[in-house]
Amino acid sequence: MKKETKTAVKKPALSWYKRMDFSKKTALWGFIFLLPWLIGLIFFFIRPLVNTLWYSLCHMEMVNGKFSGTFIGIENFKWVLGVNADYTRHLAEAFTQMAKEVPFQIFVALFIAMLLNGEYKGRGFFRAVFVIPIILATGIATFTLAEVKTLTTETTESVMNMKWLEDLVINSGIPEELTTLLVTYVKNIFDVVTTCGVQILLFLSGLQAISPTLYEVAKMEGCTQFETFCKITLPMVSPTILVCLVYSIAESFAHATVTVGETTKAFSTYIQEITFTGAAEYYGYGAAMSFIYFAATLVTVGVVCGIVSKGVFYYD
Amino acid sequence: MTKLSRKERMQKAEEMAGISFWVDLRKGRLSKYTIQKHVRSFFVSLFRYVILICLGFVVITPLWNLVRDAFTAPAVLGEKSSSWIPQQVSTIFMSMSISKNLMDYWPSLLYTLLTTVVLTFLQVLSTGLAAYSFARLKFKGSNILFFFVVLTIVVPSDSIMLAQYAAFRNFDIFGLIGLINGTGAGINLINQPVAQFILAGTGMGVKSGLYIYFLRQGVRGLPISVEEAAHVDGAGFLRTFFSIVVPSMSGSILTVSVLSFLWNYTDTYYTGLLNPNVKQLAYRYSSLQSNVRWGINNAAKTRPEWLTTIDATNPFLQTAVISACALLVVVPLLIMYAFVQKRFVQGAARSGLGGD
Repeated sequence: MKKETKTAVKKPALSWYKRMDFSKKTALWGFIFLLPWLIGLIFFFIRPLVNTLWYSLCHMEMVNGKFSGTFIGIENFKWVLGVNADYTRHLAEAFTQMAKEVPFQIFVALFIAMLLNGEYKGRGFFRAVFVIPIILATGIATFTLAEVKTLTTETTESVMNMKWLEDLVINSGIPEELTTLLVTYVKNIFDVVTTCGVQILLFLSGLQAISPTLYEVAKMEGCTQFETFCKITLPMVSPTILVCLVYSIAESFAHATVTVGETTKAFSTYIQEITFTGAAEYYGYGAAMSFIYFAATLVTVGVVCGIVSKGVFYYD
Repeated sequence: MTKLSRKERMQKAEEMAGISFWVDLRKGRLSKYTIQKHVRSFFVSLFRYVILICLGFVVITPLWNLVRDAFTAPAVLGEKSSSWIPQQVSTIFMSMSISKNLMDYWPSLLYTLLTTVVLTFLQVLSTGLAAYSFARLKFKGSNILFFFVVLTIVVPSDSIMLAQYAAFRNFDIFGLIGLINGTGAGINLINQPVAQFILAGTGMGVKSGLYIYFLRQGVRGLPISVEEAAHVDGAGFLRTFFSIVVPSMSGSILTVSVLSFLWNYTDTYYTGLLNPNVKQLAYRYSSLQSNVRWGINNAAKTRPEWLTTIDATNPFLQTAVISACALLVVVPLLIMYAFVQKRFVQGAARSGLGGD
């Protein structure tokens, strides 16, 4: 401390940075590190987003081929939630889809990542195999994926024709809702595996970061495999579980489908169809719908993370 | 005469041990515990292989379909006997796809790889810096800003599409560029890769929010004492970040780099919006998908032997050509990943840090 004040006396012009205490320096550098992202956030994210919010609060009109809005408060939101009969139903549909999909996705991804992680022959090959879904999910092979879907349902029906097992499970006295849920999970296992490539990769990286010494200690102390999993693996990958949860929830909502009449379509397509119905005022309704949709996703992510982050283990 | 290397000697010793297990078993010299252990490890690895092979089959099938379609000879297209392995193999579709009029493969690949590497580098750098700031260099309001990271993950990019396009159509920051120009208007960055570079460099590229979140968790998983030690020893913040934090979380950074590379390489959304460039492989592929017939006819004209064998109206043939193109897009990624995955090794960052 003494040395610092000395230099401060010597060269007062240069030392404003040196005189700063550590917490202030930390804050300054934190801001500097964040600066590129902050610029991007303001110019390429918040500005567009505020536009959407503004449209949702306006009565949109076409005047001389240009959109113009007059502020009407929350009338659009009232229309979406009150007058329009479908929207809330679709939103509920998206929610149930998410609640069914996400836990299973996380479970399967962690399970596969743990299988991939150990020491065994052909590890490199299998790791490369489970990256394929990420590449194919980006739309490179959409036309084949549709084809494969029919193929996989065929194989599930022929190879895994387990009607007797289904009957056994259903008649076993377990509540029927639970068993039907279980059966749909098993039937959709192929879909789940192809959608959780990213989560597998994230979990794999999380598992790799666990120091082997921890497992050695556990073995020495006589832990069973299950205890090792509960006391070491699970806490150490818990930060990754949180990331995967956020990602899965966001993806599930982004790709949610709604049933309109007989057909199913993506939620985003549904909103777009409403937006570009023709009349200009629907532009405001569409904006309000998107906004409610973000808000719903955000609240879900917030609630789930709020609960899960209580159990997450960090070093700090 | 034959001098065994260390590795071979080890192998031999292991073999002997393996044989001695069976000998011991026969002679009843093994304890119940050892037998149990061996049986258990056998069943564990059996279980692992069964599950991995079954699920791997599901994952590989679409890729195999691409290979199958791409290498089927035109004569046996769409025949049922060729539904798993083509009866007659030919590379005609592959060479057609590589040719100039269809994918213009080698120049496009070079362009795509170059832009993707730049994008990946910028994206990893910007998200890494932001993640470190969020995890360790907290200042007033950084928790509130983190809320926006989650928001960028949650908000689908197509809902802010038009405004983003407008921002680059008339690119200007605080009116500075307009002032320098003297015209008062910004510059047009559409149709140049710069627009994508700016997005990646400012942490708004493809799925940047996810990377920030993931890397932040990675930083928080590191013991803080190493960074404290670096600060005490007089390292600045930049130096601490680049020589302490980055190496010790190389696993997470590698994962993010791989994901970033994959998604930037296959990205058609931002490319289509900001830089609709036919040289970008994935974009070229996706625009080809909608007018295959025209592309096939164009390509067939270049060689007389193609002109006679190729019938562009055949839907099976169209599928085969699209498959060949898709395969050409996917294969470089797979090769790259096969090399990179070896580097996914057990992190030893925390060994030797007692007390943490």
